[in-house]
Amino acid sequence: MFTNMKNEWFFNIRGDLLSGLVVALALIPEAIAFSIIAGVDPKVGLYASFCIAVIIAFVGGRPGMISAATGAMALLMVTLVKQHGLEYLLAATLLTGVLQIGAGYLKLGGLMRFVSKSVVTGFVNALAILIFMAQLPELTNVTWHVYVMTAAGLGIIYLFPLLPKIGKSLPSPLVCIVLLTAVAIYLGLDIRTVGDMGELPDTLPIFLWPEVPLNLETLKIILPYSVALAIVGLLESLMTATIIDDLTDTKSDRNRECKGQGIANIGSGLLGGMAGCAMIGQSVINIKSGGRGRLSTFCAGFFLLIMVVFLSDWISQIPMAALVAVMIMVSIGTFSWTSVKDLKKNPLSTNIVMVTTVAVVLATHNLALGVLAGVLLATLFFANKIARLMVIKQEQPTEHEVHYQVVGQVFFASAEKFLDSFDFSIAADKVVIDLNRAHFWDLTAVAALDNVVIKYQRLGAEVSVVGMNEASKTVIDKFAVHNDPKAVEKLLSDH
Amino acid sequence: MQKIIACIDESTWSTSVQDSAIWAAGLLQSPLMFLHSIERQPQPLSTDLSGTIGLGARSKLMTEIASLDQLRAKVSLELGKELLEAAELKANEAGCLQVEAVQRHGEFIDTLLSLESSARLVIIGHSGTKAGKNFHVLGTHVESLLRQVSTPVLITHHDFTVPKNFMLAFDGRETTELALQRILNSKLLNGLDCHLVTIKNKQADQQEKFDQAAERLISGGFKVTTSFLEGDISKQLLNYQQNNAIDMLVMGAFSGSRLRQFFIGSNTLKMLENCDVPVLVMK
Repeated sequence: MFTNMKNEWFFNIRGDLLSGLVVALALIPEAIAFSIIAGVDPKVGLYASFCIAVIIAFVGGRPGMISAATGAMALLMVTLVKQHGLEYLLAATLLTGVLQIGAGYLKLGGLMRFVSKSVVTGFVNALAILIFMAQLPELTNVTWHVYVMTAAGLGIIYLFPLLPKIGKSLPSPLVCIVLLTAVAIYLGLDIRTVGDMGELPDTLPIFLWPEVPLNLETLKIILPYSVALAIVGLLESLMTATIIDDLTDTKSDRNRECKGQGIANIGSGLLGGMAGCAMIGQSVINIKSGGRGRLSTFCAGFFLLIMVVFLSDWISQIPMAALVAVMIMVSIGTFSWTSVKDLKKNPLSTNIVMVTTVAVVLATHNLALGVLAGVLLATLFFANKIARLMVIKQEQPTEHEVHYQVVGQVFFASAEKFLDSFDFSIAADKVVIDLNRAHFWDLTAVAALDNVVIKYQRLGAEVSVVGMNEASKTVIDKFAVHNDPKAVEKLLSDH
Repeated sequence: MQKIIACIDESTWSTSVQDSAIWAAGLLQSPLMFLHSIERQPQPLSTDLSGTIGLGARSKLMTEIASLDQLRAKVSLELGKELLEAAELKANEAGCLQVEAVQRHGEFIDTLLSLESSARLVIIGHSGTKAGKNFHVLGTHVESLLRQVSTPVLITHHDFTVPKNFMLAFDGRETTELALQRILNSKLLNGLDCHLVTIKNKQADQQEKFDQAAERLISGGFKVTTSFLEGDISKQLLNYQQNNAIDMLVMGAFSGSRLRQFFIGSNTLKMLENCDVPVLVMK
């Protein structure tokens, strides 16, 4: 028990504390920005980020991953908040948590194996584009000051780390925010600040039960949102976990992560926060800053709350332009640059899956639909590829005898090709179909074989199906009709 | 044939592990396996706190971390190979017939458990690379190893000398009964003077069992000295060991319940922590 604690929490104390601090500093602008996307006060996102990060540190399945309020989730809540208000959002957050815990117990985390690499890449790219697009309202209908400030912010963020020594020991997003805030106050610029966007937290979060009527009507309103939130939250969390797995060369517990996300969301909902999930950008920042253990996630949430509660007067002065700069950085860092560079190298089908995922997400603003489209397309491409892995060789030892050897996979996608490969014009007495090297996968394949056998029988040939391997045999013995005389008769009489 | 597995690393305890392994291999006429396990060091070296991610951030980070891991792994691999070669040479010179060297990646415990089925005795140092001569602490692996394996484990200390006598800490519970049986069956302790020591506990038939144990040891050919003591278990046993110049401690492991061990602490661990002679834990 203690060794476990040590292995997951305290093996990297210095690294985790420092990276937690860096992440907390970057979480503040994100949480505020995502609250604004969802249409709620910044405090809702900030409380959510605190709760989710702290809770997931204990119950998550991927040490070192950062979870908080996210853009992917915020985008799904927009209409709910607009039509029904914050209380319904909190209720939906609770339900999301319950659904996610259920998914964890049903071990749905294993379903991630159907999500291929190109779908993950598409998801990540779509997310990056969504985060970027969410910044556009802050950049339209504004004075030129805002553009200058944003450009300067991005300049600071990317150039400051190049400074010797100091560049790598201070988080440049923090430098950007502090400098831009100072400039805005000093020059007395009339530009939008965080304070204009809504209420900031001034106390520690308190327990509150959402004030919604507990009836079927409420459930009808929140359920569709909760389902979408639960799915997107789990998808992004499990994908992020895979990314962290790869980076650190360690394994995560997916089903524990599902349950953990659920518990974290319930915690967030009860403390006045919105639903959230794992964040790709922040998690990468955490790993880059040296965070590896659960302590880093905990610190990120803890430091965030401390800073927000005690510095809320200062935070309200931050110009939105500084936040936009930070968010553009997150968007750029989230985007998978290699996927663009490798477009030429990768097979077309992979690229189509990736681009489709991105396109569907951008069209619907729902990452779950994008993933669904990507997975379906990838599955079709795969079935098509495997269907090509079937050949039938034909031999004619004598005038009235034909041998066929089937090699490869016979299933719904290749059944037609299977059928077409037999030559029914040969006037044969004897037909041998050798299935030694074939695999029959489903009813369609079985029906196709039946069809061939019966067709030959009707042409007056003796058909023998030989060398069926055990795998095919079990399928065929279960479903086929041709070795059951009565069934054959019935089938023939139908014609 | 069942092997002796000697776990070596770059710590100062490694020498005594090798010496005791050679000693045991001679007595048991068993093949000897030196095992070096390369554990992943999760601590990152990165001090980049800029918190910035740009284009291609993930792939760049991946390359950085991977090359760092590669560098570390190569050093460990080389170091391990040298250690294993030296140990093999030493064992061959000492006349051991079958010696093999095995190097594996992964958690030490997992590696050992995967090899355990071919082992009759596991030898491990009292402490690992993190402890120094002046930093007296039980190695992090020892406890979990003792809890998980079912073969006897010899925990060595600095400077191994061939033992002339041993002390069996006997409490009449199942685990020590098992240890007693193992001693009688094994050739490892043959011919050594045996000190059979027990500390009075609440068992009604303790004296009876104790006498039986002494008889069995005597009929097994051991020269037995018995002592029936009272007081704190680990303190009394350690006192006895020091006062009678005992060379090796033999005991069963973890007979108390997990709950008791959590609140009061395990006597096995207390003994291991404070004892400065080799301890043979019979499982």
